[in-house]
Amino acid sequence: MLCERCKTREATIQYTEVVNGVRTEHNFCAQCASELEIGQDFPLGRLLSGLLGLGAGNPREEKYSQVVCPTCGTSYGDFVKNSRFGCPDCYEVFDLLISDKIRQLQGSDRHKGKKAKNAGQPAEKVVTAREAAPESAGDCSLEEQIARLYACQQEAVKREDYEEAARLRDEIRRLKTGSETDA
Amino acid sequence: MLKWYEETDKESPNIVYSRIRLVRNWDEYPFSGKLSREQAGEMVNRLERGMRDFCLEDGRDFDYMPLENLSDLDRRALRERRILNETLAGKKEPAGLILSRDERVSVVLNGDDHIRMQFIAPGMHLKELWREADRADDFINERFDYAYDDKYGFLTAFPTNVGTGLRASAVVHLPSLSSGRKFASLLGEMSRFGASIRGLYGEGDENYGSLYVVSNQKTLGVTEEEIVEIVEKVARQLSSQEQQVRDRARAADSLGLRDEAYKSYGVLRYARRLSWKDAMVFLSRLMAGASDGLLEFAEPCPIFSVMLGIQRANLQKITERPLSREELDVARASYIRAELPELKLA
Repeated sequence: MLCERCKTREATIQYTEVVNGVRTEHNFCAQCASELEIGQDFPLGRLLSGLLGLGAGNPREEKYSQVVCPTCGTSYGDFVKNSRFGCPDCYEVFDLLISDKIRQLQGSDRHKGKKAKNAGQPAEKVVTAREAAPESAGDCSLEEQIARLYACQQEAVKREDYEEAARLRDEIRRLKTGSETDA
Repeated sequence: MLKWYEETDKESPNIVYSRIRLVRNWDEYPFSGKLSREQAGEMVNRLERGMRDFCLEDGRDFDYMPLENLSDLDRRALRERRILNETLAGKKEPAGLILSRDERVSVVLNGDDHIRMQFIAPGMHLKELWREADRADDFINERFDYAYDDKYGFLTAFPTNVGTGLRASAVVHLPSLSSGRKFASLLGEMSRFGASIRGLYGEGDENYGSLYVVSNQKTLGVTEEEIVEIVEKVARQLSSQEQQVRDRARAADSLGLRDEAYKSYGVLRYARRLSWKDAMVFLSRLMAGASDGLLEFAEPCPIFSVMLGIQRANLQKITERPLSREELDVARASYIRAELPELKLA
């Protein structure tokens, strides 16, 4: 049987949809099914967004959606849409925005359990990733500056001062890209 | 060498298999979704090179296969055997699979996360599997620094895995319990302990075969040992409740149940065409009957292995061509005829 979507490949996935008690059967090939996100272990994106009351139409969320992780370019809007982070730094960048949501989802926002062997050597990896920016040799390293700005930015977001948050975001971005071109 | 699903475990009736899945990310790269093709290829190669002595550590024989060398059908067959997840079965970017010959241990490189380790065994062996996973994890972490945060623990692409990165699960066979009226509320009850339960092959009445997956809901703020404990407890609890219901039914009508088990065997042994649904329903009855000693096979017969074998991709691999639904039903019946051993006559 051919896939009902592309009509070229063999259908290997049977998909039964039950909407309000009405059953419809579909046959897709693997590629179309994955494009349609059928049979994912978790239809996570939509599930989480729905669960946490995120998504379009919420003015607060739309304001936050401008916040971007400087390392990988994932925006808060991307995260809301896909429930998926782009890189380890996203957790730090979006920390204040997400910690409530993670607590809701996981019942906790603090890891308990096994530690990585490389635990306790944070920040360092950001430096190596950027081949150690010259500023980091100074009294106040670039990481510290950025970390402080993050804190301010997240505070601004908390008190809903979006203009200030946006200004700080640009400042952080400038520092980060500056360090990349310097390297 | 026997695959894990070809072995039988009599210690824990109604618990078909248990599984530990652990995800980790290497701190040198962004998460898999953000990797360019080149980065992904480079990372997979570096990880694979670094893990080449993995087999020595573990003592099993491993094979390495780049996923892009596998056909769609091979990937679907691996998906059916729970080695790949849906994302990986369809993934186009470079990815790798390290797989032990018995298929108990697999490490997927560049799936949703950089490293996904999986350990499976028939029956309830979560504690042993976790110990094994813990050792393998240390072995890998000695070679690669993980993305780790003091607050959030092991960082993962999805926030549903963050913290321990651990998903412990057990597949339980609940044919009697699941047909009872109180089943839905019983499941709700179990989820209050932090376990989630879903059908292995579908939801509600559509879950032919009555196999259910119990797994931990949370990955953050609980220790690995606690997670394993919760899942094991809930799985054992469900399994023993199932057994009580079946024992009561057997006490009330032993002949009726024996008749049902033998009839199921008869259909499976002689049918020329079997739909997925029919095959799963009869195999499920046979599984319960054999487990309760209502009938006995002349040689060990792991019925779950037959359930895995009758799925579409595996049957297509055997016949080596795409099959229409009718042809699939014929291939399924003939597979079962070949796999089911004779009965020991009482």
